[in-house]
Amino acid sequence: MFRLSLKMTLARKGRLLLTSLAIILGTSFLSGTSIFSATINSTFDRLFTDIFREVDAYVRSTNSVDTGFGEQRASSPVSALETILKVSGVSAAVGDMQSYARVIGKDGKPLGEDQGPPTFGGIASSSAAGLWNVETGRLPVGPKEMMLDRATSEAGKFVIGDTVRVNALTGTREFSLVGIANYGDISSPGGATFALFDQPTASEFLLKPGFVDAFLVQGDGTLSDEELAKAINAKLLRSDKLETLTGAQITEETTSQIKKVLGFFTTFLTAFSFIALGVGCFVIYNVFSITAAQRQRESALLRALGASRRQVTNSLIIEAVIVGVLGSILGFIAGIGLSQALSALLNAIGLEIPTTGLTINTSAIVSTVLVGTVITTLSAILPALRSGRVPPLAAMRETALDTVTGLGRRVRIGVLFLVVGVVGLLAAANGAKVIFLGLGVLAVFAGVLVLGPAISRPVAMLLGKPISKIRGVTGVMSQQNAARNPKRTARTAAPVLIGVALVTAFTALAASIKGEIRETIGSSFRGDYALSVDSRGFGGIPTIITDKIDQLPEVATATGVGFIAAKVGDESPFILVFNPKTAKGLYDLEMIEGRQSSLGKNEILIEQDKSIKKKLPVGSSVQVTLIDGRTMQLKVAGTYKNAYGNYAVSRELFEGSTTPLFDSFVYISTVEGVSDENARKTISAISSDIGIGTLESRNEYIDSQAAQVNQILALIYGLLFLSVIIAIVGIIITLLLSVFERRHEIGLLRAVGMTRSQVRTMIRWESVITSLFGAVTGVLLGIVTGVVIVISLNESGIRGFTLPITSTIFILIGSFIIGVIAAVFPAWRATRTNIISSIASN
Amino acid sequence: MNSTRIAARAESASKIYGSGENEVRALDNVSVSFERGKFSAIMGPSGSGKSTLMHCIAGLDSLTQGKVFIGETDLSELSDKEITKLRREKVGFVFQSFNLIPTLSAYENITLPLSLGKKSGDEAWIKQVIDTISLNDRLEHRPSELSGGQQQRVAVARALATQPEIIFADEPTGNLDSKSGSDILKFMRRAVTDLKQTILMVTHDAVSASYADRIVFLADGHVAGEMLEPTPEKVLDYLKHLGE
Repeated sequence: MFRLSLKMTLARKGRLLLTSLAIILGTSFLSGTSIFSATINSTFDRLFTDIFREVDAYVRSTNSVDTGFGEQRASSPVSALETILKVSGVSAAVGDMQSYARVIGKDGKPLGEDQGPPTFGGIASSSAAGLWNVETGRLPVGPKEMMLDRATSEAGKFVIGDTVRVNALTGTREFSLVGIANYGDISSPGGATFALFDQPTASEFLLKPGFVDAFLVQGDGTLSDEELAKAINAKLLRSDKLETLTGAQITEETTSQIKKVLGFFTTFLTAFSFIALGVGCFVIYNVFSITAAQRQRESALLRALGASRRQVTNSLIIEAVIVGVLGSILGFIAGIGLSQALSALLNAIGLEIPTTGLTINTSAIVSTVLVGTVITTLSAILPALRSGRVPPLAAMRETALDTVTGLGRRVRIGVLFLVVGVVGLLAAANGAKVIFLGLGVLAVFAGVLVLGPAISRPVAMLLGKPISKIRGVTGVMSQQNAARNPKRTARTAAPVLIGVALVTAFTALAASIKGEIRETIGSSFRGDYALSVDSRGFGGIPTIITDKIDQLPEVATATGVGFIAAKVGDESPFILVFNPKTAKGLYDLEMIEGRQSSLGKNEILIEQDKSIKKKLPVGSSVQVTLIDGRTMQLKVAGTYKNAYGNYAVSRELFEGSTTPLFDSFVYISTVEGVSDENARKTISAISSDIGIGTLESRNEYIDSQAAQVNQILALIYGLLFLSVIIAIVGIIITLLLSVFERRHEIGLLRAVGMTRSQVRTMIRWESVITSLFGAVTGVLLGIVTGVVIVISLNESGIRGFTLPITSTIFILIGSFIIGVIAAVFPAWRATRTNIISSIASN
Repeated sequence: MNSTRIAARAESASKIYGSGENEVRALDNVSVSFERGKFSAIMGPSGSGKSTLMHCIAGLDSLTQGKVFIGETDLSELSDKEITKLRREKVGFVFQSFNLIPTLSAYENITLPLSLGKKSGDEAWIKQVIDTISLNDRLEHRPSELSGGQQQRVAVARALATQPEIIFADEPTGNLDSKSGSDILKFMRRAVTDLKQTILMVTHDAVSASYADRIVFLADGHVAGEMLEPTPEKVLDYLKHLGE
């Protein structure tokens, strides 16, 4: 029987190809994601192994705040360097810094982009423990000299002797370029830019005099790295609050931190790859169902010749396993290409993640092939069982149309799912855990999919009505064809439904978030202009720049808002830092209790819901620890309702701290009578001098802040694109099989006078009806899902649901186009139907 | 012979499949014409080329050499689109099976060629045709709800609906029991006698052929002979001799 199955599988090359195509698409995203993740992981492994290659020990502060999006650590006093150098076993040690510094190009524009790889300032040293090697020129000495990495010097066309302007925490200065450096063998790691100074200049310019980030230590070879670290630790001053790690430990820790952040991202990708796989499942199941129906005669003949039910069923399952293995192997190969496409997608929307080479794990191959084969086999089980049940007599009969049987049971099960789902969603909307939301959405989707075959006929008839009006009998046949196999139509439309529902839900969610951003900013920001920077938690607008703008004669007031990591009670959030003295009338937290402008140095403001949840009413006090380890009790001075952060403090709190303080936004109001042109000119004279930030009017700013959501939406669209492709391929496959199945009919139509273009029209509209059936149900489902998600996320700050009307229209038009595109090839095939052989042969 | 009396004809028609050693001459230099207003039949054993001849005259297949005409129209000069239009307007078809579109009602099937050409047709004529097939009460039914004989009657009505130049019937009773078969044949006979239509039928059954006014016999791709006013006995007798 196995040999027979194998032979029968290989004999039907077309069917084999179509089924494999569905599996290839379904599994390729899965393998693409795992290859992509493995590649970024190994890229970072290599990068940090390279960076810390010469480092035997690493000394750093013990104070840190871990926000969950990477750790922020306090600075270390330079004075510890002498202590470290005295430890026996240490041959060299040097201060290390990776602070914010931005090189301004010869054209006055800064090098690097706001959202690109980071721009660093650091220390150049002759010490053997330093990471930088002088390529040409010499090391910088004193407050007027600097060095650049080779890639940056080339990008900015700087040569030794040039004057280079650099912006950093303490302002903008000019330096003379005395050398070009290499980072080990690399010219510039990860595309970042580096401005290098001697240690005192670096500390004073980039951070705070007398402080560096950490120390890099090289041993003399007499001690193992562990012994060296121990020896250094024993000598460090307790008051400096420092600790020593081995080179291997710091490499491991840095890598794992990056991996943790990337982990969120790869989980996100994996979720979408499972969506694609699920969508692919429908296509695979559909293909097996249709082919099983089409080979009914073949199965019946086998039965008539003495094959048992089990043998007939097994032959189909064996076929599924063969196709599954084959398809998933090809899917894995396609995934290699897809991993590159993922990289390109991320680059295109500005989320650059460095990847070098291609890392393929055996586990990725095994899991892809395993998952692909298993789902293919599972998809084939029902059709295979159905095949086995074919009576031998069916061999003599005409192929019957597939009919929906057990409609009542189907409706009952579907409705049951829907009810369970709605209960889950209602629970979620009333504040139950997020898991209820997820399960509720899942159950509603399942309910709709189960009900699909029951509603596909009436809905297809309804959608086809206008077409039958416009296109006459050709349209009537499209309408009837779309409705004649309700199960098939429902299964074909299911991938479209899932894709459209997700697109709609995310679009609705994004629209709601945008609306919320507009409202939040609109009501909190009262000024005329905003200077903003999207720094991704690194650097920003130095507060002295904010003060400079505030002092401009054209400016009435300018106030800055920044975010910084801190421990508050048992949490480690980013807290909002603002200047209460200048915020009045410009930045309004919408206080509920207390006053924003009178916030003192030892006080804190809390978002109202947070204050209730954490039992921190006005008048109570909470312990706050800053990155530099300073711990204090802050008094809750008020509650507010409108801001991005749950805690807000005055920037006075950071006076004298080694923690660099940057503003993310500067809100500006101008003196009355100052023209727009004049205001922009004077303000941007300062902001362009530091080379960062975007100056916008109030309306422009609100628009651009809301538009940031689009980046994530673009990523989600990109990731859903593959599901859409699978949906299109699903329609193509179904239509091809239907055209084959109806070749007699098409031949007859051609004989009695249907032109080729009418045949194409007929197939095209059937395709459009099927696609629209999926889209219309998908849009409805997506809107419902969107509403529920918005309601249940209410607490996280989204209050109102915004229906994205134009997007919904675009989605429907898009589905229409999908239908048209999917029909092109099957319609062409249909026009090639040989009239004689399809009619005369019986 | 007056050409206006000819509904369809073939001139030195040849149809060759394959080449060289494998060459098969399905039609070998066949010249034959079929009169308007007559019920003609083509007979011959399997492989005699009778179906090929009909397919070529009907514009479903093309000749290797020679010409075919429907009325005065030379099919070899027409594009696929023009031939399709000609089939829709000037030709009717009745096949052995797969005659009806399962998703359309009996009435929609009958008017299908008209609808495809976006024409409403001659309503009085269509009513007359439908009356003749006496299926007035089943017009809204789908083909799957009709018996085999009823389905073939709908097919004949469809072929008549456009008042074509000629109707081609390919073994129209091949799948029917003898009662339904003879009903169809009588009905076709009436279409010619009473409604002045032209029918060309391919068959291998002597009884069916005897309903025709004239029989053309084909053997090995050649015209082997013809018979006017046939009876089943005469046909069987002729076939017996043809086989010798």
